[in-house]
Amino acid sequence: MTLSARARVYKTDGVIIRRRNLGEADSIFTVFSGDQGKFDAIARGVRKARSHMRGHLEPLTRSSLMLAHGRTLDVFTQAQTIHAYRAVREDLDRTASALYCAELVDQISAERVPNPELFALFVSILDALEGSAPAHVVQYFELRLLAASGYEIQLDRCAVCDGRLAEEETVLSPAAGGLVCRGCRPAAGQGRIISVRGIKVLRFARGATLEAFAGLRMDAGLAREVQAALSSVVVHTLERELNTERHLADVARLPARD
Amino acid sequence: MTGGPPEPIARLIESFNRLPGIGPKSAQRLAYHILRVPEHEAAALANAILDVKQRIVLCSVCMNITESDPCSYCQDPRRDGSIICVVEQALDILAVERAGAFRGRYHVLHGVINPMDGIGPEHLRLRELIERVRAGGVEEVIMATNPSLEGEATAMYVQRLLGPLGVKVTRLARGLPSGADLEYTDDVTLARALEGRQEM
Repeated sequence: MTLSARARVYKTDGVIIRRRNLGEADSIFTVFSGDQGKFDAIARGVRKARSHMRGHLEPLTRSSLMLAHGRTLDVFTQAQTIHAYRAVREDLDRTASALYCAELVDQISAERVPNPELFALFVSILDALEGSAPAHVVQYFELRLLAASGYEIQLDRCAVCDGRLAEEETVLSPAAGGLVCRGCRPAAGQGRIISVRGIKVLRFARGATLEAFAGLRMDAGLAREVQAALSSVVVHTLERELNTERHLADVARLPARD
Repeated sequence: MTGGPPEPIARLIESFNRLPGIGPKSAQRLAYHILRVPEHEAAALANAILDVKQRIVLCSVCMNITESDPCSYCQDPRRDGSIICVVEQALDILAVERAGAFRGRYHVLHGVINPMDGIGPEHLRLRELIERVRAGGVEEVIMATNPSLEGEATAMYVQRLLGPLGVKVTRLARGLPSGADLEYTDDVTLARALEGRQEM
């Protein structure tokens, strides 16, 4: 294709989700944007002290980006911060939550497949964490991310036989993709028992706005239950454990701030 | 195999190619350069590489790389042992020393926490730092990790670990580098530079 056949440069609005250093002074950044999806691009000389783009390409920064088509990877030509999420970056717990969401996005997204719904969701979670939302908004993100990526959890009827579910403690089976009735339990493989209250939280998250879910009061036990249930579905869907989940657990074990 | 360079050269190219920042073409160029230099120069290079591996150890106090244990910074009685400057890598000590404004001691972490790449606190020399602070005599720990997301996260992590031990944990200030352009400065740096402004 000749250069005149397509624009040499293009603009996009994206969140930096990952950085890898390359050679002496270059870095490769993974960006997640609304109209381009997830992609890698290279920033030349970005690790030099006088680089103009340095601060605008930090992970967990939302930036307006200009890129030039390259032979293998596209090259950043300009970057301007839209939102630096400073409060997130200056708080260890919120950094850990935001990085967990970023790794989820990275793992579930295919290269250059736009997913504007997931992008809007990701940005809304970063905005919420910036505005001191409680840690359980991450669970809202997990549930909605699964739905936006085609892995919606079946919560209304049995995920195996499509029968009615009794209003009782039920098994959530990652392999079956949702709640499983008593009769189907043996067929559904490994699962995690989830309480009636836990199921209600999941059903609420599905229909609620982020603000409404953030306002939900959950005791520590219920929050842990919902977190573990969703995490088991995420691990099953991605077929791997997330690196940042270990970091979240590390941070949770630290002595509380004074 | 036919057509390739003789085996010793191929092996040298292969070794250079493993170095960071050296691609296959540069590796070939370096290997053929070595072939042309006098034998004593090549021997000096080979010995320098071996010496680094055989004679350099980690300082048992600060984890700096050194030929003698403890290292020269830890042995120097004129340095203030009550202040520890924590850096990511041994090279950073040279940078702080060049600045000439610090007369305390050091601690090298040998990395930063990088959650996305699965590098956690257990991969760093953190336990040694905590032991040093626990042993007493330390009043202040200066976190001199890079002002990147990973460096900040590491500094906050260490602060949370050391906080209960009653030591003062400080962070290097963040602001504009000399020769910078305000126009291109990112929002966080500029905001912090404003917060840290000083009367003239």
